[in-house]
Order: sequence, then C-alpha cells, then structure tokens
Amino acid sequence: MSSIDSPAIVLDAVSKSYGEVRAADEVSISIGRGEFFGLLGPNGAGKTTLIEMIEGLRLPDTGTIHVLGMAPAPRNLDLLPRIGVQTQRSAFFTRLTAREHLVTVAALYGLPPATAEKALDLVGLTDSGNVRVTKISGGQRQRLAIASTLVHDPEVVFLDEPTAALDPEARRDLGQMLRNLKAIGKTIVYTTHHLDEAQTLCDRVAILSAGRVLALDSPRELIARSGIGTRLVIPAGRLSPEQAGTLDGVNGVAVEDGMLVLQTAHTARVLAALDGEADLDDVETRPATLEDVYLELIGAPQA
Amino acid sequence: MSAYAALSRAVYKAAVRDATTVFFTFAFPLIFLVIFALIFRNQEVADTGRGYVDYIAPGVLSWGLANAALFGVAFTLMQWRNDDLLRIIRLSPTSIWSVIGSRYVVALGIGAAQCVLFVGVAMLPVFGMRPDQTWPLAIPIMLLAVTAFLALGLIVGSAANTPEAVAAIANCVVVPMAFLSGSFYPLELMPTWLQEVSRVLPMRYVNDGITYAFTGFGTMTDYLISCAALVVFTAVFAVVGVRTFRWSNDS
Ligand SMILES: Nc1ncnc2c1ncn2[C@@H]1O[C@H](COP(=O)(O)OP(=O)(O)OP(=O)(O)O)[C@@H](O)[C@H]1O
Ligand SMILES: [Mg+2]
Repeated sequence: MSSIDSPAIVLDAVSKSYGEVRAADEVSISIGRGEFFGLLGPNGAGKTTLIEMIEGLRLPDTGTIHVLGMAPAPRNLDLLPRIGVQTQRSAFFTRLTAREHLVTVAALYGLPPATAEKALDLVGLTDSGNVRVTKISGGQRQRLAIASTLVHDPEVVFLDEPTAALDPEARRDLGQMLRNLKAIGKTIVYTTHHLDEAQTLCDRVAILSAGRVLALDSPRELIARSGIGTRLVIPAGRLSPEQAGTLDGVNGVAVEDGMLVLQTAHTARVLAALDGEADLDDVETRPATLEDVYLELIGAPQA
Repeated sequence: MSAYAALSRAVYKAAVRDATTVFFTFAFPLIFLVIFALIFRNQEVADTGRGYVDYIAPGVLSWGLANAALFGVAFTLMQWRNDDLLRIIRLSPTSIWSVIGSRYVVALGIGAAQCVLFVGVAMLPVFGMRPDQTWPLAIPIMLLAVTAFLALGLIVGSAANTPEAVAAIANCVVVPMAFLSGSFYPLELMPTWLQEVSRVLPMRYVNDGITYAFTGFGTMTDYLISCAALVVFTAVFAVVGVRTFRWSNDS
C-alpha cells in the first residue's frame, strides 16, 4: 500500500453526527498524490469536521480513513511527521516572535532552528521575524501559520480556510505560494469560500452540503457538465427579449438589472446571429464559473 | 534543540514577557511580606524568642509558591488549548509529557527564584528574619509544593475555558486556602475546628513544612508527614488532571 502511485488519502463511507446534526454523511473520496484538492460548501457544511477527521483530530462514527496508507487515529507517530496541518484558528505560541514561534514548532519535530529560518524565508517573512506574533498583520499571520504547517516539509498539507480575511493582493500572493507547493509535489487539501480561487487552484473539488458530497470533479468538468453555458450580457433596449429568444443558439433569456442576459452553450453562433441586431462591442461574454455551478447546487442564498 | 527544551523556553519567555505574571508571581507576595513584616516589626512570638517575621515569611512564601504554580499552569493550559496550540503539539511527534515536563521545569525555576527573593528580603536588617540551620529542608518541600499545585493547576486549566474563569476558580481555591492554612495568620490562633479543616488542604502542609525548615517550629515527624501529605495530594490531583485533560474544546 506504500507504492508511490497509491492515493494519498482514501475516505470510505465516512459519517459523523453531532446529536441531530449530520456533519459528514457517507463521504467517500480518494485524493491522489500531488493533487490539489478543494473542499467547498456553505458554513456548517462539514468541511472542518471532514478535514479534522482526516488529520486524526476527530473520530468518525463509521467508515474508514487512510492517509498515505495509514490510519490517522489513534495518534499515529509514523504518519504525523508526513502531514502538515493549519487549523481554522491560527495557532501561535503566546508572546513569542514569529521566528521564536517557528523555532519552537521546528523543535516539536526534532528539527534545528535553521529549518525555521527556511520556512520563514519560504513565506517571505524573514524581515518580520523579530515581530511578536500578536503584532503582525492579518496577511502575515496567515503566512506564518502556513510556515508553521510546512516547517517539517510534510508530504500532505491540510489548510482550513488559509485565505479567509485576506485582502485581494495577499490572497493572490498566497495563491501563488500554494501553486508553488503543488509544483514541488505536495498533496494539498484545502477549504475555502472563495470559489474563483478554488477554480484556478484546484485539480478537483468536492462541494459539500449538510455533510454530503453533492459534486466531485475538476472545476472544468463540473462547469461543462452543469450545462449552464456562457452568459452574454447586452444593455437592454438594443433588442427585445422576444427577439433575443428567437436567435440561433440561445437557450434562455432574462432581464437582470437593466441588462439583457442570454444563456447559451454555443457562444460563436449567438454572436454571429447578434451581429447586425446589436453592436458587438456592447456585448459582454461571461463564461460559466465554478460559482455558478456551486450556487445552482446549493441554491442561491436567501435574501 | 529537543522539543522539551524548546517548549520550556517558549513557556519561560511567555512568563517573563507578561507584566501581570511577573507582578503576581514576585511583586504581589513581596508587598504582603513587607506589609506584615512592618506591622509586626520588633514583636516576638510569645515564648519562642523569635520575631513574627520568622513565621510570616514562610507563610507568604507558601502562598506565593502555590499561587504561582497553580495560576501559571492553569493559564498556560487554557491558553494553549484555546489557541489551538495543543492541537499543533498533538499533530507533531512530541509527547504530552514533554509539554507537562517543560511547564514543570519552568514552574520549579520560578519557585526557586521566589524562595531566594522572599527569604532574601525577609533577612534584610529592617525585617531581621533569622533562618534555622535546618533551612535546606525547605528545598524538598518547595519541590513538592510546586508539584502538587501544578497538578491542581492542570485540573483548573481543563475546567476553565477563559482567562476570567481561570482567575476566578484559582482565586476561589487559593485565597481561602491560604487563610485556612495559616499562611497569613498563625493556625494556633484559630478555632480548633478550623484547624481540623486545614488538614484537608495541601497548603497547610506546605506552610508547616517550610515553617519547620526555617524556624524549627514543630517536629521532624510533622515535617515528614507534610512531605508525605503533599505526595498524596499530588497523586490525587494528577489522576484527576489526566482524566479531565482535553486536547481541544471540540471533540
Ligand atoms: N464540536 C462540535 N459539537 C457540536 N456540533 C458541531 C461540532 N463541530 C461541528 N459541529 C456541527 O457540525 C456541522 C459542521 O460543522 P463544520 O465546522 O465542520 O462546518 P464547516 O463547513 O467547516 O463550516 P465553516 O465554513 O463555517 O467553517 C455544523 O452544523 C456544526 O454546528
Ligand atoms: Mg470550518
């Protein structure tokens, strides 16, 4: 079972309840080595519960879990050095500096202070190394938390909402860092509420709701299969909804916020038909996104 | 660096960088000591030929030791659990005994520093404490006291989920115990039934033991009973502490 191409993580019919709440419901997922896997779903869907069961921090009621061919619970000393975990709340040693914190974490894995320095460098925090953990900015906190996760060079990395509460630039930087991690062969399992980010970063995603896996595939596949197609947005008034409905290739028409929205699986045909009816420069093409798929599965949030 | 050494350093730095900890560990008991010693300056305890300071200093020392060990451990445990640090440790190959051991060695260091400081101040000419030659007997008692109150701190740290709760519970445990154990006020002056109550309190034995070491008040047998009692208290607290221990606030 330790062959290099066996899956990194295998969940088989994993369930867990908290009283009446089903936090995980017959979840079966297999994650390959080197895969970047996203767990998506609304608040309370069961992402943290699932990820913490894989880490061995919580116990499933039924079902089995294997990480790198080993059971994560009870506490498995052979497995622990090979996984890295960032919990949903960032954890730092009280009143230490960023550098001291990482040196302490490195020591927990029996590693010398030099490893801490490398991790600090990896996340670009060398200059802030002597700042107390309570004084660094939100983005730096997040990066420090990831450095703590990577200090012992684990094969599988778990990140629970690493990009929550970051500004757009910090999020982009972090996304790049995660891409680099994937490039050096790490298996990454992460949760996020940023669907645009998941769409660009993840090889595959699982969309969870009330503990159940509603969809599981690559973002591209999910989008293609959803049949949502592309939306063409035209300022209203250029042509009537009735006219638009008769155009070649149009599957649906709606008026939203003063804009006419055409839905299609054949963008080129619709654009050809539109040519002459409306100025094509005014037409905005919006390909379906993972977010569209997600909202269709979960149901748009109630106002 | 071993995990144990690194954790000890982390705990030590967290303690000395916190003004509140430093104040309540060193300055606060010292203030008590100075006030009592000044109030009763030049007064002798009847029939002993000894000054009050010889009784008050060991009492304040017992209380200071117990207070610092209990609070320190309870705060660290509650904080590390709330901040998910216990999870970080649990997810590393480091054993829980390294965690408790590192906290223990720091508590012992702090206890030793308290002893030197409080006794040193009490021996200043203004206060005039004169320790007996049996003073080295204070060392085993100090070790046992820190151990027992550290074990008690583990229970408090698991029971409480907020700093306020730690402070409330720890104060409710330590303050009445200090009064009932004769740390501030000689037990002999209390009603007999209260003296009996004090026998179920660990601080009484700390107080008796340290007082015997510094003043020779009591007998060697009493001293040994104090040591044994603290061992028993430690065992009981440790069993409860291990049972109530939680790695995180979720399950
Ligand atoms: N320790 C616990 N005790 C009781 N119920 C819990 C516990 N942990 C989680 N739950 C419940 O299980 C469900 C799943 O929670 P979980 O934290 O896994 O969701 P999540 O997808 O991570 O949500 P979020 O996006 O808000 O982080 C929720 O209904 C939650 O209330
Ligand atoms: Mg969560």
